[in-house]
Amino acid sequence: MTSRRRFLRDASLAVMGAAAVERTSLAALPDAATRNDASTARPLAPPNGRPYRPVVTLNGWTLPWRMRNGVKEFHLVAEPVVREIAPGMKANLWGYNGQSPGPTIEVVEGDRVRLYVTNRLPEATSVHWHGQRLPNGMDGVAGLNQRAIAPGRTYVYEFEAKRPGTFMYHPHADEMMQMAMGLMGFWVTHPKDPSFMPVERDYVFLINAYAIDPGSRTPRVNEMTDFNLWTWNSRAFPGIDPLVARQGERVRIRIGNLTMTNHPIHLHGHEFKVTGTDGGWIPPAAQWPEVTTDVAVGQMRAIEFDATEPGDWAFHCHKSHHTMNPMGHDVPTMLGVNQREIATKIARIIPDYMAMGETGASMNGMEMPLPENTLPMMTGTGPHGPIEMGGMFTTLKVRHDLPRDSYRDPGWYRAPRGTVASPWQGSTSALPSTHRQPASAGKTGVKS
Amino acid sequence: MTNTLFPARMSPRQTAAAPPFASPHGQAGRRAPLAIAALAALVLSGCATFSDDGGFAPVAEAAQKRLGQPAVWARDDATAQALAKERDDLLTRPLDLDTAIRLTLLNHRGLQATYAELGIAEASLVQAGRLPNPRFSFQRVQGGGDTGIERTWGIDFVRVLTMPLASRIEARRFAQVQAQVTQAVVEQATQTRRAWIEAVAAQQRVQILEQTTLATQAASELADGMARAGNFSAMRRTQENLVYADTAARLARAREQATSTREQLARQMGLWGQQLSFTLPARLPDLPRKRPAWPGAEAQAIRERADVRAARAALDATTSDLGLTRVTRFVNVLDAAYRNNSETGRPSEHGYEISLEIPLFDWGSTRVAGAEARYRQSVDRLADTAVAARADARTRRAQTLAAWDIAEHYRTTILPMRQRVSDEWLLRYNGMLASVFDLLGDAREQRDAVLGYIDATAGYWLADAAFRESLGGGEPEGVEASATAAPTNPHQHGGGA
Repeated sequence: MTSRRRFLRDASLAVMGAAAVERTSLAALPDAATRNDASTARPLAPPNGRPYRPVVTLNGWTLPWRMRNGVKEFHLVAEPVVREIAPGMKANLWGYNGQSPGPTIEVVEGDRVRLYVTNRLPEATSVHWHGQRLPNGMDGVAGLNQRAIAPGRTYVYEFEAKRPGTFMYHPHADEMMQMAMGLMGFWVTHPKDPSFMPVERDYVFLINAYAIDPGSRTPRVNEMTDFNLWTWNSRAFPGIDPLVARQGERVRIRIGNLTMTNHPIHLHGHEFKVTGTDGGWIPPAAQWPEVTTDVAVGQMRAIEFDATEPGDWAFHCHKSHHTMNPMGHDVPTMLGVNQREIATKIARIIPDYMAMGETGASMNGMEMPLPENTLPMMTGTGPHGPIEMGGMFTTLKVRHDLPRDSYRDPGWYRAPRGTVASPWQGSTSALPSTHRQPASAGKTGVKS
Repeated sequence: MTNTLFPARMSPRQTAAAPPFASPHGQAGRRAPLAIAALAALVLSGCATFSDDGGFAPVAEAAQKRLGQPAVWARDDATAQALAKERDDLLTRPLDLDTAIRLTLLNHRGLQATYAELGIAEASLVQAGRLPNPRFSFQRVQGGGDTGIERTWGIDFVRVLTMPLASRIEARRFAQVQAQVTQAVVEQATQTRRAWIEAVAAQQRVQILEQTTLATQAASELADGMARAGNFSAMRRTQENLVYADTAARLARAREQATSTREQLARQMGLWGQQLSFTLPARLPDLPRKRPAWPGAEAQAIRERADVRAARAALDATTSDLGLTRVTRFVNVLDAAYRNNSETGRPSEHGYEISLEIPLFDWGSTRVAGAEARYRQSVDRLADTAVAARADARTRRAQTLAAWDIAEHYRTTILPMRQRVSDEWLLRYNGMLASVFDLLGDAREQRDAVLGYIDATAGYWLADAAFRESLGGGEPEGVEASATAAPTNPHQHGGGA
């Protein structure tokens, strides 16, 4: 892995001052904390208010708040940001408080929540609190429930976090542009009773997708289907940190989908249960066992499992193009085409030309120069060679010796002797004779 | 009466009195008119003999000065052989532009034919400066029992009388022929210059098209392979095949162009037979590195252009005619007129006419008025020609500079950007973001950009040729040393490229 998770970020480092916000006009507002780092911040233990077990935002962070007269006050600043999609590529996006997606908001069921939203974008915006029960005027659909927040203005939303569950926030003003630019964030309302469905690790992330042409930095906001960057929290593998768990721990992963297509999210090595949807927690009797759950557009899913199996388990979207980084969708299949003679001719006019694709698209770990600010289509190297994955892919690392509450990357799994697939060393006569043609098959015309 | 048309009939004694001419009969008259003797002496002391070079020196000098190349008139077999040898030597190397012009000046038979005009004109000049041969006539008349024998010695009196005028006119005519031959040399050099640029550019286009035909051929063969492997439909395959077929047609057309422009060049250099195997440099000369200035173009045009020089010569002639007319208005019985009959679509006729008149009624005032009007007319004609020449030079200069700007734009902007696009395509190919067909398609686009650059460069050199012509054939002067980074004459770059 080229990127190692850095959990040791102190809150004082991660949460920087509100130097960028006008002090005079915003003097009465809570600090607009901001963060520039794309690594996973360690969970923010609640300093006040009702207790809960905080979530971990994959390659993200949780927004600090202040308590004022019993109200939790948050300050979101919608603004242009530069997000590192993966090492070697940065994107011009729109986000909140320095990052896209914005910081996760964590509250507890029954909390009174006041959210200040400052618009530092070049156009009007609003915030829709996706899935919340709230007064109609706080629902954030510009024009319908409120006036849009003009650039430079600060609006305040206030409501009670009535029901526990998994939520999102995103704009409901020029949303085609603003969502395509990455303006979104996660929201978790913890149950009032901390003993309700407890887990040791609670990961959250948003699924999002961008169309950023190779060599450019800003998404094509008008794209509808032909996205080339499939990301979790605006990160693509190998830029996505691993999810780690101590063997035997109960793990929850909450996933929200703000792309324009569905994503079958697949976990290796464990079967999980879908325990939560947009509507709330699913009664145990109704929970589906799965190894893949489809998260449809605009949906949220919480899955839970006991991390019983040690190892480095793949965790990814099962649409194979979604585990690729930018690739040419109009590139013809070269499979089975001998290019050797033609390559000599082509090299006379394109000297650096090298024939590719005759036996497949794999580069076998070979790296070639790419357009600037572009990720390789398949990259990442594991302990046994190239992983040849990109996009919506990471690993679940289960270790028996991982300390509780540690989110440190334990490195590659050291498989016990004899538990890794290996080349067959015996004679071929010992192989099962599956190719042998049954005597009766001759009549059916099957050739050996 | 003799049948001599001019009334120059004299008695034998009178005739014999013409002393400077040796009389075959040894009759030396002692009473020869002094006027005639003086006139004859005057004429004989004039240019009544042929020059060594046939009057070619000014032409050769002008060619050397304007074209930087010598012009040689093959007036005898030895010279012709020497020229042929020099020609064959020159043909062994790739022909740069200077060599092509040199070959033209040495070898073009049309030009040699034009040089011969000098010989013809000089013969007329010398003839005009020589006294006519005396004529002897013998008459025997018989009738009425008498036999009358009349012997007459005669000389063409009018010709003698008008000899200074005729000489002057022929001298002027000779100078004019020299100017015309010089102009013909310049024009022929310009023709060669154009033909050379066209031929080299055409040859360069062929090279580029041959190279990119390879690309389309590769794409076509690859498409065949794709179809065999089941990756391409018949339509997609045929589309790529079609591109190749189309490129082949373009290449054939370009080859035909290269052949005909090369033929045109050979013709301008007067080559034939085995001489046609000459080779041309691979590329046109590079552009001058810095944008030329040529601030003195108008002055150069006024100084060098043939039409301006002709108009000035006409003015000078008119001026001297006016002076003559003034001096001789009362006694002059001569009226000399230069004849220049020109009619659209026909070659102009040159000559002169001399007539005698006896001043009984008109004492010359009309002639003076006419001469003065002609003088003013010549002044205006010169001014008009000069204005047109200046405008022509300015226009050609502007066109040449614009052509330089365009070609330089191709060189410094379009081609590098085109290359950058190709580099980016390759990067995309590396990342499997683009296919080999994208690369090959881009190679075709790059070909078009390079063809555009060749056109632009040829456009510059053609404009340069036209500009030189508008300046009278010489290299434009007045390029400041600091303004041109080219170490030498840009034409010299053509050879090794």
